[in-house]
Amino acid sequence: MTKRTGVFVCHCGNNIAATVDVARVAKEMGEVEGVIFSKDYVYMCSDPGQSTMANAIKDNKLDSVVVSCCSPTLHEKTFREVTEDGGELNPYRCEIANIREQCAWVHKDKPKATEKALKITKAAIKRVQNNQSLTPIGVPVTKKVMVIGGGVAGIQAALDLANAGLQVVLVEKSPTLGGNMIKLSETFPTLDCSQCILSPKMVEVSKNKNIKLLTQAEVQDVSGFVGNFKVKVRQKAIFVDPELCKICDDCSKVCPTVVKNEYDENLTARRAIFIPFAQAIPATYTLDESSCLGLNPVVCGKCADVCEVGAINYDMRPKIITEDVGAIVVATGFDLYGKENLGEYGMGKYDNVLDGLQFERLCSASGPTGGHVLRPSDHKEPKNVVFIQCAGSRDPESHCAYCSKICCMYTAKHATLYKHHVPDGQAYVFYIDIRSGGKGYEEFVQRSMERDEVMYLRGRVSKVYEQDGKMVVKGVDTISGKNVQIDADMVVLALAMQPSKGTADVAKTLKIGRDKDGFLAEAHPKLRPVESVTAGIFLAGAAQAPKDIPETVCQASAAASKVIALLSKDELMHSPAIAKVRLSHCTGCEMCVQACPYGAISLTGPGAKASVNDVLCEGCGTCQAVCLRAAIDVKNITQLQIHDMINASLGV
Amino acid sequence: MIDVAALKAHAKSLLEKGSVRAVIGYRKSTAGLLAEPATIADADATDDLIFDPTCVQNLALYLVNDKKERVHSRSDDKRPIAVVAKGCDSRAITVLLQEKHFPRESVHVIGVSCEGTGVVDARKLAKKLDGKKALSVNFDGSEAFSITTEDGAQSIPAAEVMAERCLECRSAHPTLSDMTFGEAKSERALHAPFQAVKHKMKDEQDNRWAFWARQFDRCLRCYACRSVCPMCYCEECVVDSINFAVLPDTTADEKADRIKWIERSPARSETAMYHMVRAIHLAGRCVDCAECERVCPVNIPLRLLNTRLEMEAFETFEYNPGSDMNAPTLTSSFRDTDPNSFIR
Repeated sequence: MTKRTGVFVCHCGNNIAATVDVARVAKEMGEVEGVIFSKDYVYMCSDPGQSTMANAIKDNKLDSVVVSCCSPTLHEKTFREVTEDGGELNPYRCEIANIREQCAWVHKDKPKATEKALKITKAAIKRVQNNQSLTPIGVPVTKKVMVIGGGVAGIQAALDLANAGLQVVLVEKSPTLGGNMIKLSETFPTLDCSQCILSPKMVEVSKNKNIKLLTQAEVQDVSGFVGNFKVKVRQKAIFVDPELCKICDDCSKVCPTVVKNEYDENLTARRAIFIPFAQAIPATYTLDESSCLGLNPVVCGKCADVCEVGAINYDMRPKIITEDVGAIVVATGFDLYGKENLGEYGMGKYDNVLDGLQFERLCSASGPTGGHVLRPSDHKEPKNVVFIQCAGSRDPESHCAYCSKICCMYTAKHATLYKHHVPDGQAYVFYIDIRSGGKGYEEFVQRSMERDEVMYLRGRVSKVYEQDGKMVVKGVDTISGKNVQIDADMVVLALAMQPSKGTADVAKTLKIGRDKDGFLAEAHPKLRPVESVTAGIFLAGAAQAPKDIPETVCQASAAASKVIALLSKDELMHSPAIAKVRLSHCTGCEMCVQACPYGAISLTGPGAKASVNDVLCEGCGTCQAVCLRAAIDVKNITQLQIHDMINASLGV
Repeated sequence: MIDVAALKAHAKSLLEKGSVRAVIGYRKSTAGLLAEPATIADADATDDLIFDPTCVQNLALYLVNDKKERVHSRSDDKRPIAVVAKGCDSRAITVLLQEKHFPRESVHVIGVSCEGTGVVDARKLAKKLDGKKALSVNFDGSEAFSITTEDGAQSIPAAEVMAERCLECRSAHPTLSDMTFGEAKSERALHAPFQAVKHKMKDEQDNRWAFWARQFDRCLRCYACRSVCPMCYCEECVVDSINFAVLPDTTADEKADRIKWIERSPARSETAMYHMVRAIHLAGRCVDCAECERVCPVNIPLRLLNTRLEMEAFETFEYNPGSDMNAPTLTSSFRDTDPNSFIR
C-alpha cells in the first residue's frame, strides 16, 4: 500500500537549527519513499506552525505524520492534537523524531549532527508508516483518595481534598496524627507555637465527615491503576476502643511497664498503655503490643481492671482493610539521619549531645522539662551550647551529599530560643554557609546574631568528646584561621534529613521511583514536581526532598489540586499503545508475567497463554524485551517497526 | 558406585506398573563408543539401559521432542514420561519447568550420579589412547575411568579425558529428581568455574575477534547446535523463517510482518549474529551441558560463548540456571540487590 507521509522539521529557533541543517533534513526526507510532503519551519509548536501542519495533513490527504522536533515528552501531545483536531487524522498516526535532546543539544559538528538527524527522522518515518490507528480506552474513575502519612503534608492534602468534596482515607503508621511537626516547639521565622498551629488542623481532620482516619496502619499492597487503585491496608490492633476511652489516665498509672517515649525523642519514659500527647488524634489511649507484658489477663491485666468504661479489650486483632481509590498522595515524611552515624560527634553515646528534634522537645512547654532548657545528664541549665550545622549533610564522602535545607534556619531558631530560655547563656553555631532564602528568613538569622549575640563560627567541628562533665568541642574557625576549642555544656547537632524509614517500602509497594538519595522521585523536576512517575500517585512533603513547613504545605495543596483535577472527570482515557500477544508464538513460559512492572499480564485460556489487561498495561515494552519468542509486541512499536527503524538508522 | 542393575529394576517396575508411558535413557550404541539415547516403552527392554561415562547426551532434549510429538499425536495418555538425568540434565529439566514448558507431574526424573568424574570426552580419549579403539569406559572410583581396549582394561585419571564442562561443573549431582541412583558427589573443583572463558578473555580484543571471525567463517549453518539444545524449543527461530509457524489463527498481517533479522547465507556477519543471538537467548538458561559444542561438525568452541553469558549471570546476579524450578527466570526478575544503581 502506498503511504502518504508528511514530515515537519522544526528549527526550534536556534535550538535545533544552529546544529542541524534543517532545510537539508526537510529536503532529503521529501525524497524518502512514501513521503509526499516535507517542510521545515521556525517554531512548529507555534500557532502558525500548527496551522501549517493541520492544513498540510488535510490538503495532501496525509495518512501518517512525523514531526522532527524536541522530545516527545514535551510536544507529542501537542502535535497529536493538531493531527486529530486540525488534520482530522487519527492521533496515533503522528510520531515524533527527537532531533533536539537526542541530536542538536548533544552534538557540535553540524554536518555530522545533520547526518544523525536524517537517520532519526527516517527511522521515525519508517515507524509511522506501519502505525495503526488507535482509540484511547475509557476507564471509569473512583472518586476517593488515599493519603499516606499523617504529618502536616498528609493533613493538609487530606483537608484540601475533603473540602473539595472527595472521600479521603488517611493512613498513618503511628498512633496519632501530627508527624514530626507536632514535636516542634516554635516554628521559624515567626516563632509561633507549632502545636498551636497544627492541632486545629488535626481536630479538623477528625471532625471532617469526608475523611476516614486509619492510624497504626500501613499500606501492604497496591494493585490497579490510575483512577482505580485497590489498596490493602493493615491496621494494628490498638486494644482500646477510641469511642469508649475517656482519656482519664487511670490505665497508664497502673501499667507496670516503662519504655522510652518516642514522642519526647526518648528523653522521657511512657507506659505500655499511653496517649502520645494531650492533643493526640484520635484522642484515645493506645496499647503498645511490643512493650505490654503479654495482653494476657493472667499475667497482668491491670489496665483492663481499672478502666471504668471497659474500653480495653485484649482480644482485638489486626485488620486488613481494602480500599478502592482513584488516586494516592504519598506524604511519608522524613527521619533524622541518626546520631549513631556520626562517629566524630560520639555516635550518640553522650547524653548531652542532642539532635535537633530532641532540642525542640527541651524547648517545648509540653516536653520532658516543661519548657526549660536543661541538659539531660544532670538537669542543670547549660550555659554554653554549641550548635553544629550540616551534621551529616553536604558530605558526599562519608554521609549525605545533599543540603538538608532547613537546618540553617532551625539552628538560628534553636539558638534564639535558647537565649530566650537562658538569657545569660552563650550559643555558638558552627556552619559552612548560611542558607536563608525565604520570606523573613535572612532577617531572622541576622536577628539571632545581633540581638541574641549568637556566635557564628564558620568552620567544621572535627571532634566532640566528654571531659570533666563538659562536652569538649574541637573545631576550626576558618575566618580567623584558628583552631577553636569550646568547653560546652550541651551540643546540638543539626542532623541531615533523610526519607522516613518506611519510604523505601512504600515506594516499592506503590511502584514509584526514588532518587539517588532515597527520596521519592518526581515525574519532572520542574514541570511535574508533585507527580510521581506512576500515573495517579502524587507526592507531598519531605519524603520527596528536604523542605520546611511552608513548602510542605504548598506541595500538599498542590498535590491535592492535581488529584482534584484528575478525579473531576467521570472517565479517564488510557493510552491504547499497549502490548498485544501473538498467541501463535506464545509458549506460556510466564517470563512476561514476572517481568511486567504493572502486573498487567496473566496466563489464561487453553494452553495457558499470556493475555494483557488493556487498562493495566502502560506500553513500557518490558515484556517485549524479555520474550525470547517474539510473542508479544507493543502496538505501534512492533518488532517489524523496530526492524525497519534499525534498517533506516543503518542506512540499509 | 552407581548400581545400574537397580536403575534397570526401577525402570522396569515403572513400566510394569504402568505409572509412566516410557523411559528415556541410554543404551549401548550400535556404532561408536558413546552411548545412544533410547526411549523404552517395553518393560522387557529395560535391560538395555546402561549408565557409564559414555552417557554424554542431555536427555532433557527428548522431553522437549516428546512434547512436540504429543501435540500431533491423538493419544490421550496423560501418564508422565520417565527420564534418566545427570546433574546437568536435571538442571536443564529445571529450566524447562521454570519456563512452564511442561508441568512437573508430566515427568518422572530418575537422577543418576556421575560419580564425581563426569562423562568422557571422546576426542580427548582418542588422543590419550593414541589410535587404539576404546571398547568401553566405566567409572572407577571418583577420580578415574576404567577403559577397555583390545589390549585389556586400564585405569586412566578421569581429569585427563573428562569433558571440559565436567571439569568446570559446579553442581554435578541432580538438583531435581524423583529417585536418585549413585552417590551424591557434587564437589569436584578440578577447574575454577568459568576457567576456560576467563582464560580466553585475557586475550586482546583484536585477537579475540580474529579468533571468532575464523570460527564463524567455518560455520556451516547446519544448526546442529540448535537442534541438540533443549532450550532451543521456539517454533519460529530468529534465524530462519522456514519454520515460521503458520497456524489457523495466524493472521495475514502476521504473515506479512515476518522479519528477516538474519540472512540465511553463511556470511560471517550473519553467522556471527546467529551465534550471538543464540548465546543471548540462552543467558540465564544455559546449563552448560555443552551438547552444542560436542555435536558441532566443525568443532566451533560454542561453550565459550554460552559460558561467557552464564558467567555474567552468575557474577553479576548470583544466578545459577536450573537451581530452583520455582524461582523466577533471570531476565524476567528484578531484585533490589541487582546492580545498576539507576533502577530504584
